[in-house]
Amino acid sequence: MSTVSTDNLTKIYGSGPTAVTALGHVSIDVQSGQFVAVMGPSGCGKSTLLHMLGGLDRPTEGTVSIGDIPIAEMPDNRLTELRRRKIGFVFQFYNLIPVMTAVENAALPITLDGVRPAEAQKKAAEWLARFGLADRLHSRPDQLSGGQQQRVAIARALVAEPSLILADEPTGNLDSRASDEIAGLLADVSKKYERTVIMVTHDPRIAAYADRIIFLKDGKVVDETVLDTSTTESAVMLAEKIQGMGD
Amino acid sequence: MSVRNALLGLLLQHPRHGYELRAAFEALVGGKQNWEVKPAQIYTTLARLEEAGLVVQQGVEQESGPAKRIYAVTPQGRAELDAWFETGVEGAHQRDELFVKLMVSLALGSDIPEVGPQQVIRAQRSRLYQELHGLTAQRNAADPKSELAQIFLLDKAIMHVEADLRWLELLEARLDDICDQPLPEPEVKPRGRPKKMID
Ligand SMILES: Nc1ncnc2c1ncn2[C@@H]1O[C@H](COP(=O)(O)OP(=O)(O)OP(=O)(O)O)[C@@H](O)[C@H]1O
Ligand SMILES: [Mg+2]
Repeated sequence: MSTVSTDNLTKIYGSGPTAVTALGHVSIDVQSGQFVAVMGPSGCGKSTLLHMLGGLDRPTEGTVSIGDIPIAEMPDNRLTELRRRKIGFVFQFYNLIPVMTAVENAALPITLDGVRPAEAQKKAAEWLARFGLADRLHSRPDQLSGGQQQRVAIARALVAEPSLILADEPTGNLDSRASDEIAGLLADVSKKYERTVIMVTHDPRIAAYADRIIFLKDGKVVDETVLDTSTTESAVMLAEKIQGMGD
Repeated sequence: MSVRNALLGLLLQHPRHGYELRAAFEALVGGKQNWEVKPAQIYTTLARLEEAGLVVQQGVEQESGPAKRIYAVTPQGRAELDAWFETGVEGAHQRDELFVKLMVSLALGSDIPEVGPQQVIRAQRSRLYQELHGLTAQRNAADPKSELAQIFLLDKAIMHVEADLRWLELLEARLDDICDQPLPEPEVKPRGRPKKMID
C-alpha cells in the first residue's frame, strides 16, 4: 500500500514574469512505513514538496494522495481535519511553546482536538518516554537541549497517531551527535512504530539513515537511490511480521 | 606496509604462528568485514619479514595436524617497528579512481553519451550512500562499552564517505562548467633522442 503519492505535481509561485516554478511535474510514490530522505541544493523545492504533501499549500497542477485519498482539491475544513489526524510535522526550529512543559507541548495537538487534558497528557507522556524523556515531562523548552526539544517535537507530531510524519531539516539546528540521535529516532518511528517518514535534509550522514533518497534539482526529481537495510535487520522485521500475522 | 608492520607489532606482543597471527589481526581491526587478510598474505608476509631479518622462527607448535612455525621479532624488527610508530602516515588522496573515471568519461564525451560524467557521479553517489547506510548501521550496533576502538574506526570511515559525498555534490553543482573547460592535453614531445642543435 502506498501512503503518499504525487502525480505530475507542479507548484508555481506568483505569476507573469516573476513566476517561480518551485516544483515541476513531480511524480513520486512512497510505500507505507518507508523512511525517505529528500535532498538537493537550496531552493530546489524540498520544502515546497513537503508543504504540498502535508496539505499546507495547494498545488498549481497535479495531484497528491495521502493513503489513497486525493487532497489537492479537498475543501479547507476537510483538509485541516485530515492533516490533524493523519499527518505529523517536525521543523528545524522545533516550534515548541515556551511557556508550556514538554508534556503539555507534546499533548497540544490532541488537546486542541478536544481530548481531555489528563488523557492527552497520558498519551503524550507515553511517546516522550519512548524517546527517553520520561524524567523531563515537566521541563520547559528553555530547560531542554536542542536534541531534547526536537524529541519533544517528534512526540508532539506522533501524539495523534498519524500514519505520516513530514520533517523539514529536523537536524538542521543540531550538532552531529544530537543529529545522529534524531535520525536514529526517526528511523525507529518508521521501523518500530511503522509510520511513513519523509525527511528533508542537507546532511549526507543523516540521509544515510533512510531507506531511500530522492534527489531534487530545479523542482524536478533527478535521481533516486534505494538503501538496503542490513540482512540481519530485515530478517528480524520479517520474523516480527510473520508473528504479527498470527494474531 | 601497514599489514606488514601490524603483524610485526603483534609478534612483538608475543611470538605466534601464522594462523594465530591472522586471527589476532582481524580481531584487532574489528573483524574481517573491516579488513580481511587471506592466509596466503600472512604466509608471504612472514616469509618476507624473515628474509629481511625482521623476524625469526622460534620453534614449532605441534598438537595435532601439521606443525605450525612460531615467529618472534628480532632487534632489527623492533627498530623497524619503532620507526613506523615515529613516522606520520601519508594521506593518499591524489590517485583517486573516481577522479580518473570522471576524466576519462569527459574525454570520451559523446563517444559514449549513455555513460557521461553525470552518470558516473550518480552511480558513485548511490554506491557511497549504500556504504554510508551500512557503516551507520554497523556503528550504531557496536557496543561502546567493549568496542570503542571499532566505533572510532567506523566513525572515520563514515566521515570519509561523508566527505566524498560532499565532494560529489560540489562536482555535480559545477559539472556544466567543468564540461565547458578544455581537457588537459599532454605536452607532445618529439620521440627519440633530442636532435643536436646546430649553430
Ligand atoms: N511562498 C513563496 N512565494 C514565492 N516563492 C517561493 C515561496 N516559497 C518558496 N518559493 C520559491 O520556490 C523555490 C523553492 O523553494 P523551497 O523553499 O521549496 O526550497 P528548498 O529546497 O526547501 O530550499 P532550502 O534548502 O534553502 O530550504 C525557491 O526558488 C523559493 O524562492
Ligand atoms: Mg527548505
